[in-house]
Amino acid sequence: MNATALHSEAVVSDETRASAKSAGRRFGALVVRLGAIAAFAGIIFYFVLLAPGFTSTFNLINVVEQSAILGVLAYGMTSVIIGGGSDVTEGGIDLSIAANMGLCAAVYATLLSMGYGDMLSVLAAIAVGMAVGALNALAVVGLGILPLLATLAVLNVAAGMELTLTQNTVVGASSPLLGFLVSGSFLGISALAWALILFSALVIAVFHYTSFGLRLYAVGGHPEAARAAGLSVPFYVSFTYVLSGFCAAVASVLTVSRLSASTPGSGELLLSVLAAALLGTVFSRRFVPTMGGTLLSVLFIGLLVNGFQLLNVSSYWVNGVQGALILLVVAITSFARGSEGSR
Amino acid sequence: MSVSANDSPKMNLRAFLAKYSVLIAFAAIVIFFAVASPTFLTLANLFNVLVNNVVMLAIVALGLTIVISSGGIDLSVGVSVDMASMVFVMLLAAGYGGVAGVGGGLGAALIVGILNAILITRLNISPFLATLGVLFIGQSTQQLATSGGQPIYLTSGYAADQFNAIARTALFGVPTPVIVLVVVAVAVHVLLHRSVFGRYVQAMGAQPGVAWYSGIRVPRELSLVHMLCALLAGVTGILLSATVKSYVPLSGNAFLLDAIGATFIGTTLSRERKPSVIGTLLGVLLLAIVKNGLLLVGWNFYWQQVGIGVLVFLVLAASFGLRRASH
Repeated sequence: MNATALHSEAVVSDETRASAKSAGRRFGALVVRLGAIAAFAGIIFYFVLLAPGFTSTFNLINVVEQSAILGVLAYGMTSVIIGGGSDVTEGGIDLSIAANMGLCAAVYATLLSMGYGDMLSVLAAIAVGMAVGALNALAVVGLGILPLLATLAVLNVAAGMELTLTQNTVVGASSPLLGFLVSGSFLGISALAWALILFSALVIAVFHYTSFGLRLYAVGGHPEAARAAGLSVPFYVSFTYVLSGFCAAVASVLTVSRLSASTPGSGELLLSVLAAALLGTVFSRRFVPTMGGTLLSVLFIGLLVNGFQLLNVSSYWVNGVQGALILLVVAITSFARGSEGSR
Repeated sequence: MSVSANDSPKMNLRAFLAKYSVLIAFAAIVIFFAVASPTFLTLANLFNVLVNNVVMLAIVALGLTIVISSGGIDLSVGVSVDMASMVFVMLLAAGYGGVAGVGGGLGAALIVGILNAILITRLNISPFLATLGVLFIGQSTQQLATSGGQPIYLTSGYAADQFNAIARTALFGVPTPVIVLVVVAVAVHVLLHRSVFGRYVQAMGAQPGVAWYSGIRVPRELSLVHMLCALLAGVTGILLSATVKSYVPLSGNAFLLDAIGATFIGTTLSRERKPSVIGTLLGVLLLAIVKNGLLLVGWNFYWQQVGIGVLVFLVLAASFGLRRASH
């Protein structure tokens, strides 16, 4: 069935382009992309067959819940990569996003434990997250510092501030909002899972179904052309960093609800966030970062961790498999790009 | 750069500030801490900073300097540090001699470098992603090899003697680790700034396409670059284990951010933002002195991290911002 689909795709492009070469190139890229997706599907299929209870509704909702925090953070990272261009050393990247989440969680939990209400605490966490994002925007857009370096410095500041605030301890927190996020449910789906579903719908709508999103892609894809077309490049790039900070704040509320506390060590999430945002590119036709692709790779990472747990495989394998997958996907992508780029 | 005679002194001042922002920051910080803490400028304290804060970070950062000069990045330096440290300590624990341990440790680090080299030059993966993948795999490997991250302590007996032979000896009153750093620094300086290989590396960093067309064997030279970086990180791994007489899994990652920071602080010294050995050493010294100074004036570890972050941010802002303004 795949073969005919591929064949018809090739035929269509042959007719429209009237060029066998371009058809072959497209065919190659498509095969490569399907190959990567088939690898993903193969792993899931393996779990479906062998992991007990993997496909139960309860378990799948559990996976979505567990993926909520990583997902929201990965959207922030993806937005920065979309707006800043996907060149990894010069392009957009936000290394401070996980540390920012830690800081927001600390602020949120500390304010709650001091007796302030949900409203004020959440607003404070969001304000802090967006302030850190604005600092990144100032450094990258205003001062022209390389994103990699600017967000690295901000990472240290945010992580240090979290430590000074919590003295490296666990700050317990409870509130009506947290209680609702943990135990509330609607249509049999828990509030945490809903949070991911709604947030995903929102970012996918904004980035892929509005002219604003299209302009963000234009700014990231070719800043000079975007400027020539009259777009305010600094505004759009700044927006992505502030949005990334906002995502960190939202994720911080989710993580405090899951753990009933803010805990040190949130910086370790950074690598998974990067992996999710970068792996997501394989789900797009032109290997660009997309919100939908990021969601799929976040769920895939969630299923991977979950499948390993069900199979009783040591969780120490998860990092390694994740790393191997990044390498596989990227090698395949660079191969496909290489065959596309050889004009 | 057409500058009218009228505002040229101002422009020159800006360019001057941009160029020497690191040195100015460095001087200001030394003066500040010398006034704030009476013990800061004592010989004993400076020596302590050199041995405990500078040597290991500097060796990692020098390896990274080579990679960044070639236009790449190595996020897996922490893994190289850890692998060298792990194999070294495990071999000693199994009763092998010091020479075998050091050789095995450096070999393990070199394997990380070779893996990076294959991924980057054969599979055409960008250095950032290739080394990110290796970082993940390296972390898993360590967790699996130590049943989840159990440290290995060898504080007495034969192994401790071997550790002391590396970390606690001195030649003409200079501790062995410092001698190692001097040798490494001179070697990397000659390699990067005075050799044909260095020319190739700089060319690849400046214009990869041109480097390829002018007949430089880019894959070969890039492989060497990544192997050298991993090897130097391995040297730090050996020194680290010998100093703390143990192997603590995943401890090498602490070097990554500081080493990147130091190297890029060093790039602000040159107009073209090229990394250099002297710049990197200066960056490492800056970070080390700030850490030590903040400790002496009574800031705890947590505030130190904020302080370092703010400082790096300000140095980068001054350098990038002033340069942009002077153009």
